[in-house]
Amino acid sequence: MKSTLKQLLHSPKFMTGLITFLVVLILVIVYPFIVPGDPLERIGVGTFAKPGIYFSLYDSVTTQRETLKLSNADEKRMAAAVDEEDKAAMKELIKKTETAYDGDLDDTVFLIEVWEENYDAMMQTKMKSADKKYYQRIQKRLEALKSADNMLVYDEDSEDSKTTITKTDYVRTGAVANVKVLPLGTENFGRDMLKELLAAAGTSLKIGLLAGIVATLLGLFFGLLSGYLGGWVDEVIMFITTMFTVIPGFVLLILISYSLGQEARGPMIIAVVIGLTSWTWTARSVRSQVISLRNRDHVNLSKISGHSLARIILTDILPYIASYVVMAFILQVSSGILAEAQLSLLGLGPKTTTTPTLGLMMNWAMNYSAHTNGSWWAYFPVIFIIAAITFSLNQMNTGMDQVFNPALRD
Amino acid sequence: MKMRKLLALLLAAVMVCATLAACGGDSTPSTSKPAESQSEKATEKPTEKESEKATDAPSSEEAQPSSEEAQPSSEEGPVTDLPREETVYFGGLQWGVVATWNPIGVTQNNFAISAVASGSRTIMFETLYMYNFMDGSLQPLLADGDPEWSDDMSTMTVKIKEAAKWSDGTPVTATDVAKTLEVSKAIGNGTATTYGAYIDDIEVVDEKTAVFHLALNEEGVPKNPLLVKDYLVGVYVCQAAWMDKVCERNNNDASAILQDKAEDVVWSGPYTRLYDNDQKVVLVRDDNYWGQDESMWGTLPAPKYLAHALYADNAATEVAFKAGQIDVNQQFIGNVQKMWLDEKLPISTYYDDEPYGVCLGMPTGWFNMNIPVIAENVALRKAIAIAVDYPAIIENAMTNQSPSFEDVPRSLMNPTAGEQALYDHDAVKDLQWAGNDIEGAKKLLDEAGIVDSDNDGWREYKGEKITLKAVCPNGWSDWQAAMEIVASAGKEIGVEITTLYPNADMYIPDIQDPDQKDYEIFMWSPATAAPSSPWARVMGFMSKDYVGVKNNGSGNWGQYVNDEADALLKKIPTITDEKELKDAYTRLTEIYLTDVPSFSLMYRPAFFDAVNETVWTNYPSADDGRNIPPANCVSGYGIRALFELELAD
Repeated sequence: MKSTLKQLLHSPKFMTGLITFLVVLILVIVYPFIVPGDPLERIGVGTFAKPGIYFSLYDSVTTQRETLKLSNADEKRMAAAVDEEDKAAMKELIKKTETAYDGDLDDTVFLIEVWEENYDAMMQTKMKSADKKYYQRIQKRLEALKSADNMLVYDEDSEDSKTTITKTDYVRTGAVANVKVLPLGTENFGRDMLKELLAAAGTSLKIGLLAGIVATLLGLFFGLLSGYLGGWVDEVIMFITTMFTVIPGFVLLILISYSLGQEARGPMIIAVVIGLTSWTWTARSVRSQVISLRNRDHVNLSKISGHSLARIILTDILPYIASYVVMAFILQVSSGILAEAQLSLLGLGPKTTTTPTLGLMMNWAMNYSAHTNGSWWAYFPVIFIIAAITFSLNQMNTGMDQVFNPALRD
Repeated sequence: MKMRKLLALLLAAVMVCATLAACGGDSTPSTSKPAESQSEKATEKPTEKESEKATDAPSSEEAQPSSEEAQPSSEEGPVTDLPREETVYFGGLQWGVVATWNPIGVTQNNFAISAVASGSRTIMFETLYMYNFMDGSLQPLLADGDPEWSDDMSTMTVKIKEAAKWSDGTPVTATDVAKTLEVSKAIGNGTATTYGAYIDDIEVVDEKTAVFHLALNEEGVPKNPLLVKDYLVGVYVCQAAWMDKVCERNNNDASAILQDKAEDVVWSGPYTRLYDNDQKVVLVRDDNYWGQDESMWGTLPAPKYLAHALYADNAATEVAFKAGQIDVNQQFIGNVQKMWLDEKLPISTYYDDEPYGVCLGMPTGWFNMNIPVIAENVALRKAIAIAVDYPAIIENAMTNQSPSFEDVPRSLMNPTAGEQALYDHDAVKDLQWAGNDIEGAKKLLDEAGIVDSDNDGWREYKGEKITLKAVCPNGWSDWQAAMEIVASAGKEIGVEITTLYPNADMYIPDIQDPDQKDYEIFMWSPATAAPSSPWARVMGFMSKDYVGVKNNGSGNWGQYVNDEADALLKKIPTITDEKELKDAYTRLTEIYLTDVPSFSLMYRPAFFDAVNETVWTNYPSADDGRNIPPANCVSGYGIRALFELELAD
């Protein structure tokens, strides 16, 4: 036992798998303590806030200010208003409308000068509505750039309490009362993506674990029975498993989840359903292993000694296939997680918005077209974490295989 | 074995990514798969529904696959490779294979045929007038000049344009107009169910003059002149000779006529069928179209072909739209502005800023009056309605494609200026709410004696905890988001509201059942905009006519009864005095905001209309001064855009 463990710990595959898994697990467990609160709380009102650090504009007005005279501040302001692409478009329009100018358009200041001088005339030319609106937006931003050096902020209730903000005013992020770090932004409902993601990973792990346990126990039970007893018991069980093999498991899963109805679809019910539809391959492999075991000498000896069926199975057969069962269990867990993700993606997962699960997050991200409107943070981390969990479980499995399976042993 | 299992699992992991990518990238058109496409199509569906409901026409959401081989009619074989610069591609107007080309048959999802009061598609078949929802005007199409009403509004005379001709070269006559109604009534199609009770018959005075005789009530006053206006823009005029032929070959059997495939149909519009199959529907321009006459458009429409590929779902449509494979797209796209702001695509909408489209609809949460606790407690209804976080619904579910209830205070009217002017804003000011009023809601409930007496955090009524369900169809994501927000308002004020999302095919019959007690709060849209607006919508909110009606597709799904409101609603169609009309609508608004039988959750465009200018340009835009509504270039007066399109360079 000890040497097997040692071997396992020396297996690079097993270790990468284990470490990846532990990292995910620790994140899932620890993160809620670092950032407490309900993972389903909607903090953003809109959809898909970009990842980043958000600080309260309201609070920053009254925060202690420093005056910093940065030489390139205006330049940056300009660059934020018109980027290189905008400048290229401006140049193109000036050339297209054959506007006369005398100077170098690559000089941004000059470009803007020519642009503003001729803007009204240029906009008279025929162009696509999308282009026209694009130029209008550039013009609007340029107008904003020209605003005065100072801005006034009033209290809505009393105009006496005005605050002046100048272009050289800066506040330290740490000094602002309300700063929110959103490492992965917000998702479609305006929830903290990272917090929800890790909570969902936790749920998915639980679903996988339960599905794995159900599938493995059932598979083990029927496999042992069928393999050891043989005869009609074997026939019946094999008939059932063959049937399951012929009907694609996932289709079955979809049908069962659909007929359960949304009311009944809690995460744990889904897990049980997944387990109930995926036990057959475990049963079949356990059975074939048991068949090869049941005529071994030590089993026969037990039989002759009059040991009960339960005892023979538990002491003479189970220990020999234990390593295999553990590996099968790991695979069941990983396929359970995938099955939940797939089901939820189709909208057949656990009931919406009471529990976060990875599949549900993908489902909602897709409903809100995250994948087509460039909100990568709303779906890519989900895929990544699903991949990380299943990859780690499979790596562990392969590593164990190499240790336990004599045929693969180095 | 284990290796294979491992491989299989890794493959599955790859597939998760692939599924997501495929859903985005799959632009292969295929016939609609209900189970999968439901959630995708969802966001768009309500709009379709609204327009269909507006005429109360029998409709089938999914098309029945046609059994006949879809062979191109052109002799040289199919023009499957349509020249891009002669074709306008559409998206979001047709799901599934075309069933028939029969304009008097059951309404089906034929891209060319959609006869609704909010704007019939007039690309193949034509109505007498075209509705322009931008100003509420009726523009003559087959008709010549405005309709003339008799003083008592019991008859209406419509002249037909001299130039108007059928595709077989024969003139469009008053006989065709009269026969259309006659046949409709005989076979009981959508036209008959919607308008049959309000128009007795159409008299043929001469070849080009038709007189509508309106049905009168007991007092000898026309029952409903407003709906007759809807008829003018909603009902296609069909050729009498062709209808005779159809009736004859079906032995006058109504159901057979309704199902007739109409391969030989005669049309009057600028386009006709080229071919349709399970991939796409293509219409080709009829270069003999009568409308090129100076008395109508004076020209032919610009594109030679109109094509609509059959996409699997909204996501596929969106991808094709972004790639420039679709020019005009009728689909809700969340954060549509990202397409031009972030991705710099040549895509635009009617307005360059929020709400991007013209909002005419008001998806609404209905209180079910069959539930005693709801029916007996105005305070409960109002408390829930004022506690809801509407800004969150508008910003999140609609991604700001709706004006807020601060900009357009709630009433019975949609946000158009014409409707807003129909009620006295100051008179109902104190009754309106913009939401998020948790304290006010709590106070209302406390005053009504609905309090938490057993300290479990939830309020009780008559000793029983109040438990309500907020329901909308599954997969209609923006509506679901709205229901979630309603539910969280309940939590804030101590009324338990849970959400429930049944499938749409279960949900719709449920809410149309006048006795249902399963859903306490449920979501649906009243009528959008038509010549009969806002009357038709207000009917939908409060009319007693719809109470107790089985398979009720028209309105008042919450079974609200108010006799004063009902009397006013009965009177409005015949009111001609502007002040009197305004008073009536103001009073109705007062009643509505006091009794809170339902509460609108957002404003919503009747047509989502986004265009990609890769190939074509000069689409309607808010600032172009042309007064063409953004109606996908095919609906109502929106078709004018087709005559003014230009090729982009």
